[in-house]
Amino acid sequence: MRRQWIVYAFWLLLAACLYFFENNMGTRAVLICSLLFPVFPALRSSISGKEDAGKEKENGQQTVSTFIRQETDEPGDIRPYRPGDPVRRIHWKLSAKKGDILIRETQTADEPAEKKNLIAPTRNGKKDFRKILIRILTAVIVLCLLMLVLIPETRRGSQALCNRVFTASEAVNAYAYTYFPVPENQNVFPAAFLLLLMAASLIILTVLLRSRFLILGIAAALTVFQVYFGIAFPAWINIPVYGLLAALLLNLIPSDRRLKVFAALILTVSVLCVILLPGVDAATEAASETVRDNLSGIVQQFAGKISEAPEGETETRHAHTQSLETGNQEAAADQEYRLVTVEEEQISMPHWVNYMKIILLLLLAAALVILPFTPFLLLNSRRKKADEARKTFLSADVSQAVRAIFQRVIDWLEATGSGAGNLLYRDWTACLPDSLPEGYAARFSACAADFEEAVYSGHVLPEEKRKQALDLLKETEDALWQKADRKQRFRLKYWMCLCE
Amino acid sequence: MRTQLEDVIREVEKVIAGKREVIEKIVIALLAEGHILLDDVPGVGKTTLATALSRAVGFSFRRIQFTPDVLPSDITGFSMYDKESGGFTYRPGLLSRVNLLLGDEINRASSKTQSALLEAMEERQVTVDGNTYPMEKPFTVIATQNSIGTAGTQVLPYAQMDRFLVQLSIGYPDYEAQMTMLRDRQTENPLESVSCVLSREELTAMQRETRSVTMKDEILDYITKLTMASRTHEAVAVGISPRGALFIGRTAKAKAYLEDRDYVTGSDIQAVFRDVCTHRVLLKDGSEHSVTQVLDDLVKKTDTPDHRSRFQGIMKK
Repeated sequence: MRRQWIVYAFWLLLAACLYFFENNMGTRAVLICSLLFPVFPALRSSISGKEDAGKEKENGQQTVSTFIRQETDEPGDIRPYRPGDPVRRIHWKLSAKKGDILIRETQTADEPAEKKNLIAPTRNGKKDFRKILIRILTAVIVLCLLMLVLIPETRRGSQALCNRVFTASEAVNAYAYTYFPVPENQNVFPAAFLLLLMAASLIILTVLLRSRFLILGIAAALTVFQVYFGIAFPAWINIPVYGLLAALLLNLIPSDRRLKVFAALILTVSVLCVILLPGVDAATEAASETVRDNLSGIVQQFAGKISEAPEGETETRHAHTQSLETGNQEAAADQEYRLVTVEEEQISMPHWVNYMKIILLLLLAAALVILPFTPFLLLNSRRKKADEARKTFLSADVSQAVRAIFQRVIDWLEATGSGAGNLLYRDWTACLPDSLPEGYAARFSACAADFEEAVYSGHVLPEEKRKQALDLLKETEDALWQKADRKQRFRLKYWMCLCE
Repeated sequence: MRTQLEDVIREVEKVIAGKREVIEKIVIALLAEGHILLDDVPGVGKTTLATALSRAVGFSFRRIQFTPDVLPSDITGFSMYDKESGGFTYRPGLLSRVNLLLGDEINRASSKTQSALLEAMEERQVTVDGNTYPMEKPFTVIATQNSIGTAGTQVLPYAQMDRFLVQLSIGYPDYEAQMTMLRDRQTENPLESVSCVLSREELTAMQRETRSVTMKDEILDYITKLTMASRTHEAVAVGISPRGALFIGRTAKAKAYLEDRDYVTGSDIQAVFRDVCTHRVLLKDGSEHSVTQVLDDLVKKTDTPDHRSRFQGIMKK
């Protein structure tokens, strides 16, 4: 749970940075950062090894780690350890006292099975209804898509819609894009209706199906559409749309308070970004102006040297000459503008540049996606080792257990900066901080001797050594956590978050 | 601490006050069946120490003062023509029936005498005229060399220094110790009061037990890393030899045995490392550091086995 928040905090930071870039450079950064949205939760759940985001939410209450003692010390049912119980639920204190490993049962039940499989809920009638609804919705979507593509009227309508989006687009050089050859007065209502119907069905289907892949698919389709056609929806559309997808993905039904807060946060941030950084449109416009000015200069310089005349250029030129002759100033200006545009396009945008741009953008997006996860990926092996070590706390081999527990003590000391570096552990007593409780050094050195015996001899240690070591660990954790300043606590939390 | 060995140390301490550390080290060297090189100024009690030790453990003790005139045959013995039998008979030298030999100022002996002694130290047998005579067991040599007044001496070659297990120095006693010493010696010789608390057989058995002390791979790894680091250290011309590494292990075992453990830990290695290696490291000319500093540096820079053993057991599992 905690890990997830780190990722989101990072993302928000990234989004802010990208907005800044957008403001200054007129890139399609908005697009990239939108692209990051849906990918994050999916990656997060795959990295943290949790099957299901929902399941983690269920367990969230108790995974809030041992740091907040008041919470975990709340009386739940205590029962003896059974093989297969998660290590983090062991009640160390009691276990150490009783000499037997005890498990803390919290009020939250172990992942209820029916919540996992949401397509097949308990009641049969509801299940059938849901199934039928899903089929109907799928059919509607497919039908809408087919109608949109196959019926000429609606196809033209959607093309006209596209043209309008082009016009409204924020993309750099928006004026340079080729419009679909559709009359401007084309009736767009059937197409718009179909599109809306499709979108609505998609949303309902998403909520019903709760399939991560569907949401990811939608996000990918939207992104590819935007990248390929070069239409970036305005940021205030993009951010909520992707945010909604992310929210859906994160926790499929927004019943959790935390999720609502998260969604609200995203919306607030995006709205704030749009309000506080109004330069997105202005910067785009300014950049376009500069490009155009430069290009016009070049065109005038090299006029006539362009051998290959693009399609329709001759006619435009002809009309241009004609309107100049007839003195139709308005038409002349319009045609001149078009000619310049065509030439600009020819000079500035060879086709391969477009593809390169798409590839580069995708690469950049991939790099940005990986970036916040690198620490987790790098430290994942360490986390696994720590998990293993915690399992060995209970190992039947006491030597193994003592070894692992003592290592944990050392880890704690090192994490709070109280370690003595490359000294033998038995010599650490001299360097331990004064803040530790009375007689701690003696207990530590006793445990260090046990550790040495466990590591360097073939002896079988008696069971009480494990208890001693566990007591020491408990004491270390308590003492160090109490004395840790804010920075160290942060470090400990981060470290625990990797180990949890 | 083994009680019997503790007794030995206490007996010796009667004579040399306040030098417990050195005595312990000498006992360790004894357990590890090694020879000891004492590098010290005259008059700090080298001979007294050796005598007291030999008394405490029931050793037969002999002492030889080396001068350039001492010949190899004085040490190994020689064959002499016997008129009555008409053949050669072997006249045993210094090395016969001796458990503890104190060779004073070994660097004053001629090089051929030195080599005769050192050979006997290594082989623990004496060969004269093709006949091999075994020596007493255990056999330990405590050789001394004075660090002052070295004029006219034959400095022990590096290769021969390598044969000593440890190089120790007793050093001057502190105020308290010297006062005690002066007080004790006014009327009687405390050497008389040293009693035999450990038989030769028991010591031999202990030496055998020392050899069977457990030394895990982590520790071997530590020794190897330490010695290899000494060979690449910037201030070192000649690093610790493989024999040196072997000796570190042996001495560490004895140290563990002395502390009543049957396994070697990293602290044992660190405790003996300096004594075993001081005379094995040759620094480069014009080096600013002393050997001790370099050795400390090596210990500081090499990862201790405690650190390296982290999670290793789990990985193996």
